[in-house]
Amino acid sequence: MLDLLAQTGLNAVYAASYISLVAVGLVLIFGVMGVINFAHGELFMAGAYVVVAVYADMHLPFFIAVVVGLLFVGCLGLLMERALFRPLRDNPLGGLVASIGFLMILQALASMGFGVRMEFIPPVTQHVVWFTDSISIPLARVYVIVAAVLLLSALWYFLKRTRFGWALRASAQDPQAAELQGISIAQTAKIAMFIGAGLAGIAGALTAPLISVNPHMGHSVIVTAFIVIIVGGVGSLEGAIIASVVYAFVHTFVTTFYGGVIADITGLSLMLLVLIVKPTGLFGSADRA
Amino acid sequence: MISKIMAAGLSRRTFLKSTAITAVGAALPGASLAAGEPIKIGFLAPLTGAVAAWGKPGLDGCMIWAERINAAGGIELPDGKHPVEFISYDNEYDPAKARTGATKLIREDGVSFIMMLGGDTWPGVQPVADKTGMLFSTLLPSDLSPDSTTLVAPAEVHPIYLVTGVDYLADTYPDAKTAVICAQDDALGLPSVATYLAAFEARGIEVLEEPLLFDPATTDFAPIVTRMLSSNPDIICLDTCYSDYVHPICEQLFQQGYAGKMISATADFYDQMIAKTSKEFMEGFIFQFPDFDDPALAGDNINFEDANGFYEEYAKRHPGQWGAVSWEYASIMELWKAAAEKAGSADPDAVLAAMKEGGTGNHAFGDAVWWGTELFGIDNALVGDWPVVVIEDGKAVIKGFKSIPEWYDQHGDLLIKHMQAYNQMYDQRS
Repeated sequence: MLDLLAQTGLNAVYAASYISLVAVGLVLIFGVMGVINFAHGELFMAGAYVVVAVYADMHLPFFIAVVVGLLFVGCLGLLMERALFRPLRDNPLGGLVASIGFLMILQALASMGFGVRMEFIPPVTQHVVWFTDSISIPLARVYVIVAAVLLLSALWYFLKRTRFGWALRASAQDPQAAELQGISIAQTAKIAMFIGAGLAGIAGALTAPLISVNPHMGHSVIVTAFIVIIVGGVGSLEGAIIASVVYAFVHTFVTTFYGGVIADITGLSLMLLVLIVKPTGLFGSADRA
Repeated sequence: MISKIMAAGLSRRTFLKSTAITAVGAALPGASLAAGEPIKIGFLAPLTGAVAAWGKPGLDGCMIWAERINAAGGIELPDGKHPVEFISYDNEYDPAKARTGATKLIREDGVSFIMMLGGDTWPGVQPVADKTGMLFSTLLPSDLSPDSTTLVAPAEVHPIYLVTGVDYLADTYPDAKTAVICAQDDALGLPSVATYLAAFEARGIEVLEEPLLFDPATTDFAPIVTRMLSSNPDIICLDTCYSDYVHPICEQLFQQGYAGKMISATADFYDQMIAKTSKEFMEGFIFQFPDFDDPALAGDNINFEDANGFYEEYAKRHPGQWGAVSWEYASIMELWKAAAEKAGSADPDAVLAAMKEGGTGNHAFGDAVWWGTELFGIDNALVGDWPVVVIEDGKAVIKGFKSIPEWYDQHGDLLIKHMQAYNQMYDQRS
């Protein structure tokens, strides 16, 4: 039984890692831009397809493909900011609708470019780290966990310790006051979109060899990310990370002990419970709710 | 006017349904064809989306089949030979889109026959089929019911053929006595679960716990595999999981150290599964869908014209894309062509009558009988032998053909019991 609990715990740590990367990116975009980016799941998908193109098709090293995934999807974020969200800055609903349109475009482009079937990605490594005879974690999953810890730590440092980070936080807290202090809202929006989209892209790139890559893979990711940011508090980065961990552990343990369907119901129930008890989410503020 | 009709007791849904069906019925083209005019066949299946792997490869196979038939002159009717032309409609595995597609194929394209994957999309099409009398085929006999007399399942007897794999497993590995099953919770997964439960029970294999059902949106299978392995089973059964699930589940089984037997309905792109695990790990993997280059498909018992040549052409045009359904829709067309030529007409009623004449038919894997009254309420499933396929040295190999009707004669009560438990009998489905 202890082995089963430990193995399930390891599975949950992996799940928390990639969910938090996606959710933090989504929260960052919302916090600075005030837009719910429905295309965030498709940015995750785009990162995975970069790995298909660069690693599986062009046979370049996996970690180069991951970096390309981050940069490419970050640039997609910049494109979204310039073409969709900036013209609709005063119209959050318009931004939301535009992001839905963009997700459909990305899905169609993926279908046209790569076909509708799942893509084959050779394993990055088949090495498995064994703790005991029945407790293990594949090294490819360790990469995701390590990358998530490093990236989120770097993001924390960037936001808390650098001038750009302060500007970003100021823009998120009060855009007009930030602008009066000489902070360029357009500039911070670009940085937020690049980082937020890039985090989704790198999550997709890192997990691509471990999951089925297809044009519709973003759907389940965005649903999970929305549950997480609602539980954590819309607009709260700390809330998104903690909620990712809570959701991943609850979902993984319930899946293992009671089944996947019950786990989905439990995850949604958790979200509803938080909405009833604390509508702003665990770490959300009333301003952003 | 409409409000008066509503007030007279006709619901809006009934009114709209009746209007749509009447419009389709009124617009049905005449069944007669001019000499040399192409016979149009509708292909109504998911060509995009999560289930596209069970639609698009079938259309690719049909295109090859059509080229071969047309090169030989076409389908021979009393007024001469007619080329065959496929008209596809992507239903995205959505019932509403499937209904729109069926209406369009009948009304605008004037097709003589419509092939479908079926499953979740059939309820959307059923009213159109019932009203128009169009002949439809499904790959999933669980769509059959006495309410729809023009729906046939002439290729894949999903999930009943799964019993042949379990029989082979029990015969070959008599020491394997315990199993666990996982499946996606949908119209494909549940009847399949019931069938595997019946097949395991028939062979004295204990299923250690309730089948693990997961949401079709699942992407991380580590928790499910961890749970399955915690029972320490001799056999892991992957049910009728889509290839998007079979691959990551196998990879997880490999990474979490599983070393027992594996059985599944499909193993599409098994070369990729081997690449992600190892040849040794996949050795002995049992499934049900052969590569058509298998020498066993060149025998006289096979009713699929030049199966090996068909595979060769398919592999040349679509390298690495051969899957479970690549041949199935084409095999239905073989049956349809024979029936149309026998009837001397492409008229749906005439073709159906010729197809079922004498209660027997030529299934791709041998002579078969029209069957299914007990399970489906109608004998519109063509059932005979089905191959058991095993991965040996990295290649799918047919290990033999086993009779589904013979199994059913012995264990049909078990199958009905488990189908009822999962609400999968025709009179339980809503």
